[in-house]
Amino acid sequence: MSYYFCIIGTKDNPLFEHEFGTSRSGGDGVSRFSQSDRSLNPFIIHSSLDIVEEVQWGPSSTSGSAPMYLKHIDKYAHNYISCWITGGNVKFLLLTRPSDAALPGAVGGGAGGVRGSLAGGRGGMLQGTYNPTSPATEEAVKNFFFDVYDAWVKTIMNPFYGLDDRVTSPVFRQRVATAAKKYL
Amino acid sequence: MSAPQGTTSGLRYPSNKKTIYDRNLNRSKNAELSRAAFAYLFVEMISYAQKRVKGIADLEKRLNTQGYPLGLRLLDLLLTRTANPLSSIRPTRILPLLQFIAQTLWRHLFGRPADALERSESDPGQYMLYDNEPLVNQYISTPREMSQLNCAAYVAGIIEGVCDGAGFATEGVTAHSVGGESEGGDKTEREMWPGRTVFLIQFKKEVLEREEIMGRGGG
Repeated sequence: MSYYFCIIGTKDNPLFEHEFGTSRSGGDGVSRFSQSDRSLNPFIIHSSLDIVEEVQWGPSSTSGSAPMYLKHIDKYAHNYISCWITGGNVKFLLLTRPSDAALPGAVGGGAGGVRGSLAGGRGGMLQGTYNPTSPATEEAVKNFFFDVYDAWVKTIMNPFYGLDDRVTSPVFRQRVATAAKKYL
Repeated sequence: MSAPQGTTSGLRYPSNKKTIYDRNLNRSKNAELSRAAFAYLFVEMISYAQKRVKGIADLEKRLNTQGYPLGLRLLDLLLTRTANPLSSIRPTRILPLLQFIAQTLWRHLFGRPADALERSESDPGQYMLYDNEPLVNQYISTPREMSQLNCAAYVAGIIEGVCDGAGFATEGVTAHSVGGESEGGDKTEREMWPGRTVFLIQFKKEVLEREEIMGRGGG
């Protein structure tokens, strides 16, 4: 499993991006995108922004409020996209690329066996049958987003941070990496 | 932008090694600020704005601009402080947004809810938020030649920031005095609250269109 995480500002401009792999089931936390995947990822993320705009004003509860977590919203080839939208209309987008069994050397030989034995219990991440809407996956992604959101609010509370500025703080990046390691 | 950076990128750490990310967001939840300190700071802000303006409208515009970024920030901060943070929600309709402003935001800023919230009868896109005694105006008496001025324009800027940030674009939010000797409104109320101020919130047409569609969808 490889992940590409991106924060999109209110004017559809990218503010932050981070790439990582799964740390679950013996994963080493390193992404396995090929060079062409890397170039393609930003395009996939941006194409899903249209869907975000549709979903964000979708049916809300009777109280006239909607959750920030929009769950799984889009799919392109084997890439699944989940979204969290903050109160200030900033989008967190997570692209998930499940590792196909054909991908050689995804994990070392010994760890490969361990991954196989654990896969059933890991949020429906059975090889080849990754299900973005399974409750365990949704929960994991939600927890990840929530931790990032916490760090995000701290970022925007900084008086030197302006609307739609890029986030360059290494501490923020570290926070995202920690959340990724913890939940994904 | 994509390459993970080391921790040695010229970032200066505070002497206690605690960055803004190490602080709890709820740390200052119940903290109170000295009113004297605020009044002093606010007076400085007004005189700073006043040095560079041509007229009263210009001055109010500047105060508004000073409040705007505060609204953008408070929106997300106060949304995280809801009862159950994990089920974070955001307002998608006009009424919940205004209630958020009149209750949550007002309580956070002034320690009490706003005094009244009304919808204009003539214009469906216009809402009026009343404050009988704006805290920001407590130590301010405007000279006669500037009687048009209401320094609560700063608070209007905060409201505008919240509305804009939440995706409810406004034509502008303005503050007007409706107490004392000004015209209109209920006479007894005017006399009881000489500093009574109304914040006029005018939403843009597209916001109202969206609101109508959502209302039809039963959302």
